[in-house]
Amino acid sequence: MLLVALFLGLMMAVQYRLSRDVERTVPIQRVQRLSAQVESARMERDRFQMRVTELRNELDTVTTQAGLKPLKEKLAQYRIEAGLVPVTGPGVEVSLNDSNTALQPGQNPNLYVLHDEDVLRVLNELRAAGAEVMAINGERLLSTSEVRCIGPTILVNKIRRVAAPFVITAVGEPDTMISALKMRGGVVDTLQQFWGIQVTVRKMNQVTIPAYRGSRMFTHAREAGGER
Amino acid sequence: MSKRYTIGLVALVLGLLLALQFRTTQNIEPTVPYDRASELTAELRALEKETTGLEADVGDLERKLSRARMGYTQAEEILRSEVKDAAVIAGVTAVEGPGVRVRINNPAGQGAQSGIFTVRDEDLLKLLNELRATGAEAMSINGQRIISTSEVRLAGSFINVNTQKITPPYEILAIGGPAALRSSLEIRNGLVETLRDWGMEVTVEDDDRIVIPAYRGSLKFEYAQQAREG
Repeated sequence: MLLVALFLGLMMAVQYRLSRDVERTVPIQRVQRLSAQVESARMERDRFQMRVTELRNELDTVTTQAGLKPLKEKLAQYRIEAGLVPVTGPGVEVSLNDSNTALQPGQNPNLYVLHDEDVLRVLNELRAAGAEVMAINGERLLSTSEVRCIGPTILVNKIRRVAAPFVITAVGEPDTMISALKMRGGVVDTLQQFWGIQVTVRKMNQVTIPAYRGSRMFTHAREAGGER
Repeated sequence: MSKRYTIGLVALVLGLLLALQFRTTQNIEPTVPYDRASELTAELRALEKETTGLEADVGDLERKLSRARMGYTQAEEILRSEVKDAAVIAGVTAVEGPGVRVRINNPAGQGAQSGIFTVRDEDLLKLLNELRATGAEAMSINGQRIISTSEVRLAGSFINVNTQKITPPYEILAIGGPAALRSSLEIRNGLVETLRDWGMEVTVEDDDRIVIPAYRGSLKFEYAQQAREG
């Protein structure tokens, strides 16, 4: 009896040590090392990003001569479309969250979680209703922005991982966008009634959308007919 | 007799513990951290790539700035080149480069617009999304340049892009790394395979010179204004 108890104690001790050792195994160390590297890479990126913004502002201040005004107005427009500057204006905020429908046994739970195509459809509807600038969870949406489901998060702009609830902000005419979304048989209806996805649409007097964080220099595309 | 039961019970607990022990060791090693590690590595690589791009931006802007300070003529010249660069990114200039050409048509013998497996707006949206995810820099559908606000939407029995009606067969052009773009679409169990299974005719070909037209609409912002900071 004593022997057995002893053995049991031993086992418990081993178990305890094992869970403590987990922190020290190579895979965990790898993750820790990589996390630190990612953190410093992110700081480095942000530093350059700030410098770019600074330089653009400076360039704006040295080109204030009256004769340059038409060019500057054009530049301001292109920069908004290119996602190079933050914008603000009236609009809407749409938040999407997974279904709260209670599943029946045998139903595929995957059908009731939010998919990238649901997000794509909402974005597409907003675009059709005249949205001028959009972001999802604070991530600026560009002409090249994808929306991709990876597990419980979605990936936007290649590396930006955003988690539910997904909040889409759009600058544009609020009422047009709201009625387009809430149209009978429209996107919100389908998502809500068919799949039980939770959707809320709010009219906003002012939303602010950040600039794209990163460089937009192309590596493959160049002006057609321009020099090689 | 009761002593035997006790021993039995202890043995049972011990067995459970052993099993648990075994499972923990098995679980920890390969699965969880490996995924995290590879995820982090991908993130690291992407961040470094962004930094490299931004570094180039900084160099470019510093050059422009020092020239623009020289005088009015130089300032004007620099401003023109800034406008030109922004125009390329904004999509108001035609661009060229290597890429892919994707053609997609309704199932053969189905001229009519109706049918469950005729090409829908969401099929085109998914194709665009896939190309974007693989690094496409500029895209168009049937001559309509895709900008950040371009919709691809079924309106009545036609698909509209940039509020212009387009009709099948659809042709999507994308500039980017041709091999990557192509394989992202043609990968096994990928999007193109699904569309083909539905009877649609899809071809993907790469080309070292794709020309994509400029956005033809107006870029007027009635509601959006540049924010002071963000």
